[in-house]
Amino acid sequence: MAIYVLRRILQAIPVLFLIAVGAFFIVRLAPGSPVDKFRGGRVSPEVIANIIKLYQLDQPLPQQLWSWITTFPQIWRIDAWGYSFTDGKPVLQTIASRVPLTMLLMGTDLLVTAVVAIPLGILGAVRQYSLADKTITVLATIGYAMPTFWLGFIIRTVFGAQLRWFPLFGAYTLGGDQSPLDLLWHLVLPASTLIVVSVAGWSRYMRSSMLEVLRQDYIRTARAKGLASSRVLYKHALRNALIPIVTLFGLSIPILLAGAAVTETVFSWPGLGYLGVQAVITRDYPTVLAFVMVGGIMVILGNLLADILYAAVDPRIKY
Amino acid sequence: MDHTELLPLTTDAAGERRAAAEIDEVDLTPVRTYWQLVRRRFLQHRLATIALFLMAILVTAAVVIPLATGDAFGRTDLTLINHPPSLIAPLGYDNIGINIFIRLMAALQTSLMVGFMAVTIIVVVGVSVGAIAGYVGGVVDNLLMRLVDVVLSVPSFFLIVMLVAFFQTGNMWVVVIAIGVTGWTTAARLVRGEFLALREADFVQAARALGVGHRRIILNHMLPAALAPVIVAGTLGIADSVVVEATLSFLGFGIQPPNASLGNMLTHAQDYVFRNPILIYYPGVLLVLVVLAASFLGDGLRDALDPRQRLEA
Repeated sequence: MAIYVLRRILQAIPVLFLIAVGAFFIVRLAPGSPVDKFRGGRVSPEVIANIIKLYQLDQPLPQQLWSWITTFPQIWRIDAWGYSFTDGKPVLQTIASRVPLTMLLMGTDLLVTAVVAIPLGILGAVRQYSLADKTITVLATIGYAMPTFWLGFIIRTVFGAQLRWFPLFGAYTLGGDQSPLDLLWHLVLPASTLIVVSVAGWSRYMRSSMLEVLRQDYIRTARAKGLASSRVLYKHALRNALIPIVTLFGLSIPILLAGAAVTETVFSWPGLGYLGVQAVITRDYPTVLAFVMVGGIMVILGNLLADILYAAVDPRIKY
Repeated sequence: MDHTELLPLTTDAAGERRAAAEIDEVDLTPVRTYWQLVRRRFLQHRLATIALFLMAILVTAAVVIPLATGDAFGRTDLTLINHPPSLIAPLGYDNIGINIFIRLMAALQTSLMVGFMAVTIIVVVGVSVGAIAGYVGGVVDNLLMRLVDVVLSVPSFFLIVMLVAFFQTGNMWVVVIAIGVTGWTTAARLVRGEFLALREADFVQAARALGVGHRRIILNHMLPAALAPVIVAGTLGIADSVVVEATLSFLGFGIQPPNASLGNMLTHAQDYVFRNPILIYYPGVLLVLVVLAASFLGDGLRDALDPRQRLEA
């Protein structure tokens, strides 16, 4: 197992290297430059030349790529990921400060989804084609078809702007005391957006996975030998039905990240996704590149996690 | 339940053939061809049939109405600001005097065009990469699959935002290409898997033994057999592409006004949410309809195209 994990991590290095090269060339070969915003105004050409020199934009591209890739892994240095073009702060520090907020949003989403979607899925499978199952199916289908940004937009408009129950944007009240209670207050709407979408999806997966298991022979055997139906369901069936769910969870990291990025942008939730989108708008190269790398690492770790969990929950799988 | 009356012509033809077979003992003509079976299985899927109907309505409306109304989707008439619904404007006029219904249809056209064109790129690139990887195998397969890993490892939505923002915000073609170049990996994997299995299949071996060239084996012999999962993935991909385009336009990276898009109509509606709150629902409802239609169509096609689910004829 340890050898397997190690091999997977080693395999990830060339992938990350290619992501780095690809991202670098997309960023640098695109038309436009971060100093464009200074041009044509009252900024003198010498100052612009100084800025170009300061950010080392005058060096040949391969050399820039090399110096970026070699310093990037040195995360013990505060300047390893460079300094932001917009606020001049170390990118490493900014990203580290945004991670907890994204984790809070995604963690709340996952926790509530697990608690709500798994029982809903079981209910739908056990009482297949009942009124409850049909209601859940219809609601889940509509919930799943709703684009995240539109759902977030409606939730924000109705509960934030029209009813004024919850704040419209941000993670803390401006000029407030930044208390945990204030944070949770701001969390309600963005988290609900993500929860609706993910509950809709995961309850479907859970239902079909449970149905698949309930059709198996060993469930019929367990029933035939007279086990209580709750024991059959929760001990025999549920454990096996959760296996594909656990795997899907690891593989859904990119979708989760994208959903979180859209939700964060709609609610101006100052997490990683919001930072990434803002960095793209302002052409803040160091932040954009760091964001792509962090995203890539999270996706690769998610896939690895899926495989490890797969082996952990299913004794038939060995690496 | 007996469905033979659904296809009277084919049953008659088959009946005649069967009558002939009684004389000749062995009849190798299939009672129904693959596509006849597909059609039958598809039509039995009630939701998929409704979805096909809905998609046909949406596509027709998105083609015909903007053609018939010309530039009316962007024409403002200040005397008609917030005018209530009428016969030529079933949803009324918005706060700058634009016919809401006509603009919605123009936006739907943009969304569907982006969706279909992006899926075309996805299918062409995905099928090519997958077919080459699966057919050639070895180092080429390994390299192409590592490329798939790399593309899959970047959160695709962010990659799309990056491409669109850096290359040309507001250009529909950039949006289409960005969705296309990030979305082909699933199709490539599916086709590669099919090709790996088909490469050793008897009919492919037979074709090779007859001296058929590689190109012809790939295009005429293997591709038709591997296409079913791609058709399904492509149909589902339309839903995803339409949503991505709307999201991009909503965030300000995609289609820009005065061109209409379901996403930028929502951005506009956001500014007038207190005076005309209903405007935030129309574009979204259309999006949900497109997504639902494409998903159920995909589900129905999956059930219909899978030859392992042979219908008792």
